[in-house]
Order: sequence, then C-alpha cells, then structure tokens
Amino acid sequence: MSADDPRYGPEVRRRMTALTGAGDLPPGDDVLRARAGDREQGAEVVLAVRVADGQAVELRFRAFGCPHFLAAASWLTDRLHGAGRAAFAKWDWREAATALEVPPPKYGRLLVLQDAVHELAGNWPGP
Amino acid sequence: MNAVIYLDNAATTPVDPRVVEAMFECLGPAGDYANPAAVAHAPGRHAQQRVERARAEVAALVGADPAQVLWTSGATEADNLALLGAARFYQTRGRHLVTSRTEHPAVLAACRQLEREGFEVTYLKPGAEGIVEPGQVEGALRTGTIIVSLMHVNNEIGVVQDIGSVGRLCRARGILFHVDAAQSAGKLPIDVERDCIDLLVLTAHKLHGPKGVGALCVRREPRLGLVPLLHGGGQERGLRPGTVATHQVVGMGAACRIAAEEGSEECSRIAELRERLWRGLVPLAGVTLNGHPTQRAPGILSVTIDGVEGESLLYALPELAVASGSACATTSSEPSYVLRALGRSDRLAQSSLRLSLGRYTTAGDIEQAVAAIRAAVERLRGVAPPVAAA
Repeated sequence: MSADDPRYGPEVRRRMTALTGAGDLPPGDDVLRARAGDREQGAEVVLAVRVADGQAVELRFRAFGCPHFLAAASWLTDRLHGAGRAAFAKWDWREAATALEVPPPKYGRLLVLQDAVHELAGNWPGP
Repeated sequence: MNAVIYLDNAATTPVDPRVVEAMFECLGPAGDYANPAAVAHAPGRHAQQRVERARAEVAALVGADPAQVLWTSGATEADNLALLGAARFYQTRGRHLVTSRTEHPAVLAACRQLEREGFEVTYLKPGAEGIVEPGQVEGALRTGTIIVSLMHVNNEIGVVQDIGSVGRLCRARGILFHVDAAQSAGKLPIDVERDCIDLLVLTAHKLHGPKGVGALCVRREPRLGLVPLLHGGGQERGLRPGTVATHQVVGMGAACRIAAEEGSEECSRIAELRERLWRGLVPLAGVTLNGHPTQRAPGILSVTIDGVEGESLLYALPELAVASGSACATTSSEPSYVLRALGRSDRLAQSSLRLSLGRYTTAGDIEQAVAAIRAAVERLRGVAPPVAAA
C-alpha cells in the first residue's frame, strides 16, 4: 500500500495491508455487538466479541472511515483479545492514538471506537 | 515496483519532450539565454525573437493577436491581474461582478479581495449537472455590473460552460467577460473574437508545458484597461513588469503549438479512453457521474462511489495517481465545494474521485485503473458495516 505516505505511521500501514479482524461473528448467546458512529459523519464501526469465562476470546470489526480509523479498529481486535469487562470499561481512545500515531484532527473518530467498546462493557454477561 | 499510473492531468501534466527540448535551447551558454529586453545586443534580440515567436504560438491557439498576450507566472496570477486589474480600472463605471460558485479558487479569492475593497459579487449556483445557464448570467446583470467571470472547463468535474453565449450577451451590454481557460486550452476550440472574450487566462502546465508560466489575453480593440498588480520595469507594456523568463514562455509557446497541431486527434483518443474508464466503473453499483453527461471536457471524469470513504479509497489505490473529492490531508478533510454546489452531501463529496487523462494515458492504463478501483472498492465495502436500518 502507500508505504511512502508520511501521513500514515507504520502501524497504520501494517494494519491496512491485511485489516486483520475484519468481519463478523455468527450470532450466539455468547456474542455481543455494539455499533457506534455515523457514516454521514465519516466514521462508523460495529464491534463483535465472543465472551467465554468473562473474557473476550474472539473479536471482529466492520468499519467505515479513514485509514487511521480502519487500522485502529483492526488494532483494537488484537488489543482487547483476552480482556474482561473491566478492561473494556476503562479502555481509553488515547491508547489507540498513541499506538497508531493518529493526528489530532482525527481524535474524534477514535472516540467512536471508545463508544463502541464501552457499550460492549455495559452489555457484558455475568456479574 | 510497478510505475504509478498517472491520472491526475487536471492537476498538472508531464512536459512534452519536444517542449523540454525547446526550453533547453534557451538555457545554456550556447543558447538564447540573454535577457529578451536587452535588444541592444544580438543575444538579447535572439531571445526576444524566441519570446515573440512563443507569443504568436499562444495567440494562435485561441484566435488572438500576439499583441494581446501578456506573460504571467501562471493562471492564478493571470486571473488576479484580470479581475483585480480590470475591476480597479473600471470601478467608476460600476462595482458589481458576476461569477459562479464553482470557479477556481484563484477567481473566488480574487473576488473576495474585491469584496473587501467594496465591490459586490454575485455567485451563481450551477444546476445539478454543473452548468451555469446563460440565462442565469443574464438575470444577474444589473446597472453597475462591470465584469462576468466564468471558467470554460471546471477543473474538478470537467463540465464545459457555454462561454460563447455568455460572451455575446456580455458584449451586447458592454460588460467585460473574463474566462479562465486553464483546463480547456488546447483541448477544446477557443476563439477570443468569436466567443467575445475580453480577458482569457491560460497556463502552460495543463497542456504539457512547464509550470510557472501562463498568459493573459487582453482585448485590444477597443483597448481594455488594467491596473497592474506589480510595479517595476516596463515589460509586458508595464502591465506585468519583470524580466521575461525566456525558457518558460518558449516552453509555453511550444506546448500551444503542439496542442494546436495535434489537439483534435489527441482529444478524440482521450475522450474514448475516458468513456472506457467510465464504462469500466459503472458495474460497481452506486457509482455516479459528477457533472453533465455530454457537455464535458475529454479528459476529466469525476465519479462518486457510494459506500467507500474517500481517504481510504485513495490509500487503497497506491498504484494510481488520482485526486479525491476532498482536501484529504491529515489536517483537513473538507469536502469539495464544487461537488457540494452540485448538491452532493459531504459524505458523497468525500467519496469521490477525479480521474484526469492526458497525452500519455494509454488503453492499458485505463484497464489497470478500472481493475484497481474495482478491487479497492469491493475490499472497502466488504469491511464496512451494513447500512443501519432507518
């Protein structure tokens, strides 16, 4: 992809090559879904997570947005693998901003991801 | 690594090797490098002859007399000199101008400057296909209107305005008609006499000439007044002082001569490639042509592709050099004001591509571009969430 474009850091470039984690999970009692953002505003995401023994054992995303946003969604599916409700509840968009070198004008798009993650935490099964 | 397929000829074009050769002849110690104003010696006179030959070549492309051609640094300067210079010169006649919302920033910014100086500007809204009807222009004219400014071919969507009709109605009312022909010169027929154009703007780098040189054709009969923007020596009749860049204007002259000789055949070929490109993209559902379907320049295709985000689409097309429907920088993603003026939403404007073809575009380029765009669109749509139920 655009390996020489200075607007995108190495993690964004790496993620955009494969977009690992893209897709969906088959419906099930152990699968949570959260949707956030608005395509008209330029960023929309659906996160799906399979929970077993209180932990996220499988995550998928679908996203509409800029390369930073798509890459952040992909990155998130790895970052939150194995995490529990507490980690989801306190996850902060700044972590993605740092890891993916997201420029400040795009910080608002990461808040869309945070909204989806926090919604998942709110719907987490079990105590 | 494969070479990038260049489909951004509306932004700029590669310089034709024949133009490069002509320019080289004016640069080295054995060439015509002397100051063309230094006519007291032979090298200066040789340079002057080259400059005047180039002036004639530029004039011939647009049906002008060589004496009408003023050299500038490009279209932006020529637009500014035309609008600011003429408005300031004729302000005792009136202080109203008419233009359109989809003009190039060089025109819009010059109009804003005139507004700051107390002029009034009417910005016409084109129809959904990007066309400003002559009747709209006529309806905007009033006592005190001194200039109408309309671009010939829109740089973003490629639509062609009916400058002949607008020129005639302006001429009949004694109103100056300014045309930015940066995108059309050498591609569409232009005749300043037939089309009643008083101020015509040209630039070299859109027709395979060098960057950094343009021209303003100024009506001579009756002589049109301009207040210069720059002050210095008396070059270009005092309207654009500064040493004339011989190699640049010689390059522009060569580019215009080549366009005059080969433009017709070349444009037919390019228009056919553009149609092939469009036909290749249509099978992707949700693809919309921006601008009038037939009243358009041969080399520009602007499309909106629903269901993909513009910046990601550009990112996914590293093998293509194309333009998007937004500023597309990390600090700005403002959607195109031209597409918005046509009624596109911000999202659709940002999901747009401008593909512009040129002299060196091949059928193979088009086939590869179609395949690359299809693959990128399908991949990005595959990643996107399904559209939420209303």
